[in-house]
Amino acid sequence: MSLLGADYRRDLGIRSYPLLVYALAPLAALVLQAWLPRVMHGYAWFDLPLVVIVYFALARRDPIQGTMMGAGMGIFEDALTHHAIGANGIAKTVAGFLAGSVGARIDVDNFIIRMMMTFLLSLLSGVMYVIIFRVLLGLNMEWRGLEELMKAVGSSLAAMVLFPLLDWTQIRD
Amino acid sequence: MDSFFTRYRNLLVLLAVLLAQIIGLAVQVRRTDSGRNSLDPRDAAGVRLIRLWADAVVTPPEQIFHATKLGVASLWLNYIDLRHIREQNQDLQKTVDRLRLEQASLLEDARQGERLQALLNFQQKYLYKTLAAQAIGSSGNDSSRVFYLDKGSADGLDRDMAVITPEGIVGKVREVYPHSAQVLAINDQTSGAGVILESTRTRGILRGDAAGRPQIIGILADQRIQPGEKVLTAGGDMVFPRGLPVGEVVRVTPDPDRDSFIDVTVKPAARLDQLDEVLVITSTEPHFSAEQQQDMATSEVLKGAEVTAIKEQKTASQIMAERLPGLADPNAPPPANPQPGHDQVEPSAASAPSAPKLLHPQHPDRFTPGAKPQPPQGEETSAPAHAGRNP
Repeated sequence: MSLLGADYRRDLGIRSYPLLVYALAPLAALVLQAWLPRVMHGYAWFDLPLVVIVYFALARRDPIQGTMMGAGMGIFEDALTHHAIGANGIAKTVAGFLAGSVGARIDVDNFIIRMMMTFLLSLLSGVMYVIIFRVLLGLNMEWRGLEELMKAVGSSLAAMVLFPLLDWTQIRD
Repeated sequence: MDSFFTRYRNLLVLLAVLLAQIIGLAVQVRRTDSGRNSLDPRDAAGVRLIRLWADAVVTPPEQIFHATKLGVASLWLNYIDLRHIREQNQDLQKTVDRLRLEQASLLEDARQGERLQALLNFQQKYLYKTLAAQAIGSSGNDSSRVFYLDKGSADGLDRDMAVITPEGIVGKVREVYPHSAQVLAINDQTSGAGVILESTRTRGILRGDAAGRPQIIGILADQRIQPGEKVLTAGGDMVFPRGLPVGEVVRVTPDPDRDSFIDVTVKPAARLDQLDEVLVITSTEPHFSAEQQQDMATSEVLKGAEVTAIKEQKTASQIMAERLPGLADPNAPPPANPQPGHDQVEPSAASAPSAPKLLHPQHPDRFTPGAKPQPPQGEETSAPAHAGRNP
């Protein structure tokens, strides 16, 4: 039943974007995520790549696209750190997959739902990142719940701005 | 089978992507001798390639953003912010009048300041060769306290070079790319800098905690360590030269894992979260100016001539010592005990350091002190003739 409903909504609601948007939006998110913390002096409590992943996964309503975009952007983020490449990739992969799966089943045009999705997936991504480090890799990394919570809130606020901007770029029939 | 892959296509793709990344992670982690896992400080070729690509993508836009930010700031400072310049000019004129009065009293201080500045400049020029660089980007991840510089291997940067500011140390170069470099800040959890407390001379290792506060870990509890104490680099980590300012102690807490150990939280001297320009120490060899190098060369020449003269003098003395007759013969056998009644005397006996003794003459004559002349018969003819030549 749910699959039929999802297919029905998929046929009706899959969004398309110019190729340039697919290329530039993730790149801009990655560059800004790397540059803004230097300008904001440590108060950059947001995760712009995750916002973009969630947006496209919800808009495209495709778990595979969400998975691939999450993996690619997560690995890219890992490459800019001095940590192992793949930790952020796994966390973002799961987030992209869940966003795409949820997007195929619920009404993602609702602004509140998209904000909630961004908030929850940001928290999940942060938790997974620490779990991968501590359990999978056996490395020391402290869990900072308050900062992760603020980061999730910040990501949701960033989504309030970015989602309408990206909606504006979609191809309309 | 086809329907299975179609039905679970999403999950299969997810599992495949996750599996690939988990394998990639496993390759990057190694187990140390102590049984703990750690990341290889040197990236493998494949990992380095990924980092290189990511850096090549991110660095050019970051440099553009940074240049744009500087341009906007310059525009603001040079034009927009000068709108009320006339009013400010009048205020400044009054300020100038007041400052002229203060100038006389400050003149002596200014001269002293100039002298200190000259000393500081000399010290900076004398000690290390540095390269100025701009901090243009970060990792974007709170748990990875690294940032990027706009200079790379093409500018002479290399791994493990120290990054400092005039206020204090900042970090070390972790990875170098052609036109950028990744710097690991001293407040990262995986960093490590050898430091020493200025007054107590306690040594320790500085690294960051989860919140990015630098801590000196693994030092024995010491009541003398108090907040406010200066922390300097110890110079034993092969990265930071000795004696550079690190920060000051702000808190001393017991080590939660080990008794009798303490953790010392340090407030960094450099503003690690507001870095713009930094200096990279590209060489710890002493760096001298042209004049200093000329002076040193002259000094070395003079010193060399002096050493040569001393050597020649020593050689001449040795030659003279060998040529001149000495009281002691180093090649002579050890002295034998003189037997009473024997007239044979070893040559070394004459060179004994004790009080000189009169030797028993082999053929005493009339000139022998304390002896009556009783010439032997065999030398009867020669002795008078020999004696006759004496006065």
